[in-house]
Amino acid sequence: MRDEAALHTVSERHAQMVTRRVVIGAGLASASVACAAGFSAYSPTMGPGRKTGPIDALLIDETTEPPRQMAALVKEAGWTLPVVSIRLDASGQAGLARIFDTSHAIVGISSGATLFCLERIAWDHGFRLTGRSQRCANDPGDDTFQQDVTALLSGSHPPAASPSELTRAYRPSRADGMLHAWVMRKSASSYVCRRRRDV
Amino acid sequence: MKLPPNVSKADFAAALKAFAGIVGDQWLFTSDEDLELYRDSYSILWGETDERTASAAVAPDNADQVVELVKVANRYRIPIYPISAGKNLGYGGAAPALAGSVVLDLKRMNRIVEIDERNGYVVVEPGVSYFDLYNYIQEKGLKLWIDVPSPGWGSVLGNALDGGVGVTLAPYRNHFDAQCGIEVVLPNGRMMRTGMGALPGAKTWQQFRPGFGPRIDGLFKQSNYGVVTKMGFWLMPAPESFATGVVTVPMFRDIIPLVDIVGRLEQSKIVQGLWTLSSPTTGTPGFAAHEAGPSKPQDAKILAILNDPGGVDMGKLEAAAKSSGLPFWACDFNFYGPKKLIKAQWDCVRDAMREIPGARFKLGEIRRLPLPPEELAKTRDLGPLGIPTLKTFDLGPMFSYEGEDVVGHIFFSPVIPRTGEAAIEAMEVFAAVARKYKLPCPPLQFPSSIFERAFLFAIGLPVTRSAVVNAKIRAIVSELVAISAERGWGEYRTAPAFYDLVMGVYSYNDNALRDFLETIKDAVDPNGIMSPGRYAIRSRHSRDADV
Repeated sequence: MRDEAALHTVSERHAQMVTRRVVIGAGLASASVACAAGFSAYSPTMGPGRKTGPIDALLIDETTEPPRQMAALVKEAGWTLPVVSIRLDASGQAGLARIFDTSHAIVGISSGATLFCLERIAWDHGFRLTGRSQRCANDPGDDTFQQDVTALLSGSHPPAASPSELTRAYRPSRADGMLHAWVMRKSASSYVCRRRRDV
Repeated sequence: MKLPPNVSKADFAAALKAFAGIVGDQWLFTSDEDLELYRDSYSILWGETDERTASAAVAPDNADQVVELVKVANRYRIPIYPISAGKNLGYGGAAPALAGSVVLDLKRMNRIVEIDERNGYVVVEPGVSYFDLYNYIQEKGLKLWIDVPSPGWGSVLGNALDGGVGVTLAPYRNHFDAQCGIEVVLPNGRMMRTGMGALPGAKTWQQFRPGFGPRIDGLFKQSNYGVVTKMGFWLMPAPESFATGVVTVPMFRDIIPLVDIVGRLEQSKIVQGLWTLSSPTTGTPGFAAHEAGPSKPQDAKILAILNDPGGVDMGKLEAAAKSSGLPFWACDFNFYGPKKLIKAQWDCVRDAMREIPGARFKLGEIRRLPLPPEELAKTRDLGPLGIPTLKTFDLGPMFSYEGEDVVGHIFFSPVIPRTGEAAIEAMEVFAAVARKYKLPCPPLQFPSSIFERAFLFAIGLPVTRSAVVNAKIRAIVSELVAISAERGWGEYRTAPAFYDLVMGVYSYNDNALRDFLETIKDAVDPNGIMSPGRYAIRSRHSRDADV
């Protein structure tokens, strides 16, 4: 069984992973997501609609600049929300596992390659990708992506008809220059992956 | 509901009920949404009728539950397919080898059973990933290293059983060769331990591999003779220091003496770290990183030769390299251990390589380990330092082939002789195929020295969601397998879609090896329930059905 000392270490690491606590304003929560202009692609599952529940964390891909910019924008708004750097290395795994264990819905901004990895890690924790949009990462000044992130954070988008449609619809690449905003929700009744156990 | 082959709906329902009774309802997965996750994301048969998809999945918590599940599978003749982490993308992922099998998902069995710093070993269950084991060692402050494959999310045990490899010291790189002791649930539901583990209360299970009598551990590698529930591995003591030394040689055919000399050094155990062959003509970072100054911009003339649609003329490339002041070959050696040992090893390499006229040498800084976090953050490749990552998913330059999005890759991975002549031949042969089909491969591809006595020549081929393009890739793989077999080269590992194809070339004396493996299969798994089709080892039922 897992020992307490190890748990403590993981907890400390998680604390380091949560880069900052930010506040997202009510204005963001009511922002429209209807504008899709400027996107190279836009999931038909995205758009204004019913709320699907609160978001527990915003995950940002630290390997690309735009997600960091987005996190800064989120910071200017109003709700309390952990913003977490996605680190797909050994030190990041424990923090990610803790986020997945303690969350029910997460929003992220990442490359397709990072989303591909993260989605598969999330599956084992009972999460499914339920919303996603993408745009060219080198398209500065386009605020529709920000609006899209806002919609995901506010939960004002409907869930995808089938998660598998979404999983098939993006390139698991970083080289293609695309940036993805997405939401994952814990939907499975149980999840396969449990915290590592030491005997 | 999808049914396993030759199983009635009533029997399948009864089996599922019995499975749930063993593990609990919440650990039995039958919905389409859940089973979607047991598809191979890199399947070269995606969406086709031949795609190998599961009928259900069941996730036990411990070996006793595995025993009970296997007994139920036997009772109802349900094909089961154990997976560990299910992350060996390109080699099957979480999908079964036979469509309709029930996946036995062992991720919940993630205990690090024992770790012994003094004797340098660990015993793990199937669900322990490289990340888990690495983090555990770090948390405990143990002076041990692990050898990791490029994606670190895989299972330590599963990767070894699949024939996976890493990039540190030779005795640890071939992961199955680094194992010591297996606990396995046989297809009849009986649990067995190999080697010294057969002795109740054994104190040396992870210390003496041969055991008593025949050594049978290899029967569980790339096979379907049981569910491995525990496995021991020898671990590497954390080295004091690390360094990379680069040897360059000027001429194209210098590769022949170079490989011979390195071979002698490896066979003498002087060189034990991975060495990497590259050509500075391509601007390979492995070489540029060790140059005194900034890397040289690529010469336009060299670029034209490399991009010649008719293929790279090595004579012209050699001449162009010479006029640019570039050596033709670079060989990066990784060294581990005390500083004085690294210096001594480097001296031996230098002395031996001086046989080659024009050879040049540069030993990088001998860095004390562990590296500080800020230095680790700048290190491009953490694999040689025994640190698991998922960076490999960021590196793939392929994103389109034949107008289709590339969603993954499969590897064609032949083993070729450890000689410079064979390396040249393989480079020519495989480059010709790449040109013929306009594959997104670099103009020069190099053999890898991961194995101690043979080269591995791994070629990544694109996987798309287009059945037409995927069919073309399958045909290319068939051609590559045939071309290789004609030359006496065979693959060390392959994707499930090619199990039969590859096993078919291991046909010496009218398929004596396959017949032997299937004789064992019939003896230990008379009902053919265990991983049917895996590595083309078929049960009597499957063979009879084909007649």
